[in-house]
Amino acid sequence: MIELENISLALTGRTILDDVSLFIEKGTTSVILGPSGAGKSTILKVILGLLKPDKGSVIIEGRNIVDENGNDALDVRRKIGMVFQANALFDSLTVEQNAAYFLKESRNKTPREINTIVEEVLSFVNLSGTNKLYPDQLSGGMKKRLAIARALAVDPKIILFDEPTTGLDPINTKAVLNLIKSLKSRGTTSVIVTHILNDAIAIGDVLTVINDGKVTASGNLKDILNTKDQFIKDFFYEVFEDASFFVNNKKE
Amino acid sequence: MIKNNSIVSSFKKRLASLEDYTLLVVDILKNITSYKTSWSNTIQEMYSVGPQALLLIIIGGLFAGVILATEGGHNLVTFGAITVIGRTVTLGMIRELGPIIAGLLLASRTGAKNTSEIGAMQLSEQIDALRAFGLSPTKKLVIPRVVSALVMFLPLTLIADISGIIGGVFISHLTFHVDLAYLINSVMQCIKLKDLFVGCIKPVFFSFFISSISCYYGLSTSGGTTELGKKAINSVVMSSAVVLGLDVIFTKVIWEVL
Ligand SMILES: Nc1ncnc2c1ncn2[C@@H]1O[C@H](COP(=O)(O)OP(=O)(O)OP(=O)(O)O)[C@@H](O)[C@H]1O
Ligand SMILES: [Mg+2]
Repeated sequence: MIELENISLALTGRTILDDVSLFIEKGTTSVILGPSGAGKSTILKVILGLLKPDKGSVIIEGRNIVDENGNDALDVRRKIGMVFQANALFDSLTVEQNAAYFLKESRNKTPREINTIVEEVLSFVNLSGTNKLYPDQLSGGMKKRLAIARALAVDPKIILFDEPTTGLDPINTKAVLNLIKSLKSRGTTSVIVTHILNDAIAIGDVLTVINDGKVTASGNLKDILNTKDQFIKDFFYEVFEDASFFVNNKKE
Repeated sequence: MIKNNSIVSSFKKRLASLEDYTLLVVDILKNITSYKTSWSNTIQEMYSVGPQALLLIIIGGLFAGVILATEGGHNLVTFGAITVIGRTVTLGMIRELGPIIAGLLLASRTGAKNTSEIGAMQLSEQIDALRAFGLSPTKKLVIPRVVSALVMFLPLTLIADISGIIGGVFISHLTFHVDLAYLINSVMQCIKLKDLFVGCIKPVFFSFFISSISCYYGLSTSGGTTELGKKAINSVVMSSAVVLGLDVIFTKVIWEVL
């Protein structure tokens, strides 16, 4: 469904992504894990077409969108929803206007249909009744949920989450993770970027670890813990003992 | 050597940003009619660029007229030519001071507003959110601002002209004891089509450059709040410099040609 092939990208002379390849299967929840500055957000921006890689291809539903210019790839792009790391809510618009924004821009729904969908997605993320508030009147967790609602409103086939749980309390984290899980039952393909191990393990079908712009390991948790890489050992130190115990026991 | 290199690289940077600005201008001109698709946005911008700047413009124009009449009047008195004061103030306001005062005030007001708004949207990834959905920031954000400036700057400049002339006439009457009826008559008599043309063509160009330059600086913001502050400064400085530069060119060319 989404395939990155040998993506390399340098910004202001520095290599940010170095020969990154990634395959995301339809209907799965993929997690991209890595430390701060590893290039996780950059990967999402490449998928969205916001950054053009120097080398490599981004294939979405069989089309290489790297060579197409903005408007040609429009129909592909509009199948992808994005929840930005800093939410990127339109701060001059109310909650309901935010949720309705991309629906209005797609120009294929009547105002009445738009209203229904907005009510639906707002209640899905548990924000009913906040319609007339502005983003700066919301708490961090509410903002994140609004960002998710805005992305969901256009019913994307693929949805990208950049650090959806960072900075949230355990209750909100659980709510957001449950939202992501329930998307899977709708058949949505999700890509989640995070540096929080527990969340990654809780929701990911496939984990990809990146460090310093390179893919270090990819597969399910077991595959990853079996890699002998020192970085993996350091990065997974929290769960390493527990998890390897679990994995070893399973083997027997 | 090192110094030389940094001069070369900063020159290259400037050249690159001039290129980016030119591309933005081309994009604006190609899509200028798209303001129709963001009507409510454009109306909102018009309101904040126009009516909300009214008081500033009236006061700015008034003071310019008062200064012009006071300085001019004392000189005219020494040459025994105080009777032409109405004419001096009127033509001075319409041809030069009105457009330049309005241009500079609006360069700072509208310039700072556009750069900080769009820059903050850039920093908080709101612009990425638009682009990710295949929406053009030029159509959604820049063109409503350019169109509202194009519509609003001319009337604002004319208001600055009028309040300057009124201020000048009163000073001439009160300080230099020129007959009020005579003053009003000479104001009415001296305005020619050519003067109005000069006074009206300037704000049209000022508005385009101020709004496009300030939006460009906003869009090119990256980094953090300090960077945004720098962009806002650069935007106001550059817009003001362009207003002054264009004014010199217009004045020179128009005196030579018309
Ligand atoms: N516009 C840019 N210009 C230059 N360098 C950039 C730019 N954007 C990001 N970088 C650099 O690219 C690297 C990867 O950034 P990215 O935002 O992808 O990291 P990340 O993995 O998402 O980190 P975090 O978990 O902190 O969000 C960082 O070292 C950053 O300094
Ligand atoms: Mg990031």
